[in-house]
Amino acid sequence: MDMSQYRGLFFSETREHINNLNKLVVTLEQEPGHRETINALFREAHSIKGMAATMGFDHTARLSHRLEDMLDGFRASGEVSAPVFDYLLDGIDLLEGLLDDLQGNQPERSIDAFLRKQPQPPTQKVDDPAEENLADNALAVANAGAPGAVSITIETGDDKSAESPVRGAAAEEPDLFQVLVDLLEDTPASAARCLLILRELAGSGELITSKPDMASLRQGEPCERLQAWLRTSLTKQHIEEALRKISGVANVRFIDDRRQRERSSSDEAGRTVRVRTDLLDQFVNLTGELITRRYMLHSAARHQDWNELTQSLTETGRLIDDLHHHVLQSRLMPLENITGRLPRIVRDLSRKADKKVTLRLIGVDVGIDRVVLEELTDPLVHLVRNAVDHGIDKEGVVTVTARRERDLVLIEVADDGRGMDPELLRRKAVEQGLLTARQAEGLSEHDALMLVCQPGLSTAEEVTETSGRGVGMDVVKAAVVNLGGTLAITSAPNQGTRFQMHLPFSIAIIKLLMVSCGGHHIAIPITRVQRMLDLPSGEIEGSAVQRVFRLDGEIVSLWSLNRALGLPEEPAGEITWVVLTELMGRRIGLQVDRFLGHREAFVKKIGFPLNLLTGLSGATVEGDGRVVFIIDPQPLLEERQLLDQDWTPGGPDALS
Amino acid sequence: MALRVMIVDDALFMRNMLKEIFVRAGYNVVAEAENGEAAPALYLEKRPDLVTMDIVMPKKSGVEALQEIMASDPDACVVMVSALGQDSLVLEAIEAGAKDFIVKPFKEANVIDIVRRVTGRS
Repeated sequence: MDMSQYRGLFFSETREHINNLNKLVVTLEQEPGHRETINALFREAHSIKGMAATMGFDHTARLSHRLEDMLDGFRASGEVSAPVFDYLLDGIDLLEGLLDDLQGNQPERSIDAFLRKQPQPPTQKVDDPAEENLADNALAVANAGAPGAVSITIETGDDKSAESPVRGAAAEEPDLFQVLVDLLEDTPASAARCLLILRELAGSGELITSKPDMASLRQGEPCERLQAWLRTSLTKQHIEEALRKISGVANVRFIDDRRQRERSSSDEAGRTVRVRTDLLDQFVNLTGELITRRYMLHSAARHQDWNELTQSLTETGRLIDDLHHHVLQSRLMPLENITGRLPRIVRDLSRKADKKVTLRLIGVDVGIDRVVLEELTDPLVHLVRNAVDHGIDKEGVVTVTARRERDLVLIEVADDGRGMDPELLRRKAVEQGLLTARQAEGLSEHDALMLVCQPGLSTAEEVTETSGRGVGMDVVKAAVVNLGGTLAITSAPNQGTRFQMHLPFSIAIIKLLMVSCGGHHIAIPITRVQRMLDLPSGEIEGSAVQRVFRLDGEIVSLWSLNRALGLPEEPAGEITWVVLTELMGRRIGLQVDRFLGHREAFVKKIGFPLNLLTGLSGATVEGDGRVVFIIDPQPLLEERQLLDQDWTPGGPDALS
Repeated sequence: MALRVMIVDDALFMRNMLKEIFVRAGYNVVAEAENGEAAPALYLEKRPDLVTMDIVMPKKSGVEALQEIMASDPDACVVMVSALGQDSLVLEAIEAGAKDFIVKPFKEANVIDIVRRVTGRS
């Protein structure tokens, strides 16, 4: 039998089981004698074992067998001792590593060291009552107040909650980098050179994949730039030094890769998603109705029956809307899929930093497009890490909230900790040469807080090993913007910090505002549009360099989309058509030649080299076959701002 | 102790040139072979820290000699010496375990850089 067709399903199900194992261990740690939790753990391990053995994944099967055996022992004795938790969690991590190997088409890593190891009996800490008493069910709860304790609350949308104070050891998490290596021009035997570089990288960590990959290099494919994804605990500096020693290497650069590229491209195609059968039935029904409608349309056209034709077209439109809705439904997955890891992460981090942190998850059953969800995993983890690491001083609450807001979903990470000081950020930005003193002074509070998203700005007075606030925030913001969303920060000293991500539900089919610029049709995602304005041209003020207009008592900068796109500008008419959008929390007007209306469109991705153009986020095809480019004004305006250092949107100089 | 080097090349010119480069760098050239057939036995006899191996040689090619050496000593440190346009042979050698390669015509500094990197010695 060909087992390869089950690979996708195996991976998605096993990852779910691993997620559950992690959650259950954290729960059990709080109530070590809880029989139902032990049983549930046993069942999860048992399921993985069965599947892995069927697939012929020997190490995975043996490891899950070991975990199953252990858990079975606890089932018999009815209790679990404290040191076992770390051992169990190590085992789960190893299991996850094995899956990574298998999914990356690598041989399974060795599990012998783990199998030889037995859970460590409690050691020198006998004099530490907190440690000693942990196995004791009754006292464990009382100990939750001790430093190093974490309590985790999970609330679903319907407000069920369960509290579980737990503690445990932290796990080292190697970083995932993207390494870019440029070779000197005309390097002889460049493929062999690249193989040597990959060999060096493989020796310093886990080489996940590369472009070109090993196979094409072995075929002798010439290569001037090597792109590799590496997971390693070594520092970038260390890796760079080693690479630079290799002859022919001109340049080494790193890109923090928050998008997990673990899955090789061959796996990408075979990924699975589970769909409820009643949804599939709906598809079949709707498709059936559409087929019927097609015949009615044919017949109406043949008889030139305009009434029937119009009616059938309306009905077809309704059916397509319906189908669209259901197809989108099938792509939605609850946010829970990625928040499942958070309790474990918060537990480990709090333990490491000796803090008492409560994690609250609210509304995480909200559904989000699979693609958005995947891209969101790392930014969310990063925000939560930041909150634990920098937001909270000794003790506090981190709350992750999700809810629908019209066409968008809001995901918020808030802490009740020390907060951020806009004044400190302004000062740091000036000290680090990112802004002049005058520019910093002109920044609004919101813009000053957004400075943490500037690459290179670090404000942590002491940078901890996990994260310095600011380190990586640029990546979070880039991920959110890439998805067509926005990031906003609100904070005040000693009142905590709130990171709000507004994201589209779906990115395959979106609503677009169609405008005309310099004779071209241009589409702007509706999520980027706050309002559409038709201003009498007389209301536009300002100089030739910077035009502004007044709106609701506020002064708003006006930019020409034609100019930003390098298109010819039409002479000013009586009315100026403006799309109101937002940049860094501030409203910006984009002047266009005219509005053409809005429509729903299927977004086609743009390939190389067009994808390198700033602001070009996709393309769609109009009814007449015309290709229309989708412009995301946010990166376009940001680039604009970077080019023009003295420009701050609507800043105090705007009217001068 | 000085690094012990073995040079395998059918051209006396190349052997002498490499030898001069190594001697100036303070290395000790302990063996020379002029074809691939002699190299594996000589390697086992002298156990050098580093071998430079020409790729195209009479009797037995550099890649074959490399494979034999690697089979007898998986830790062997062999650097291939190739001419331009021998990419596929270089690839084969890298796959077979060569630590690096030098392309003729080469510069003295370049050779020493590569030797330092693969031996981890300065």
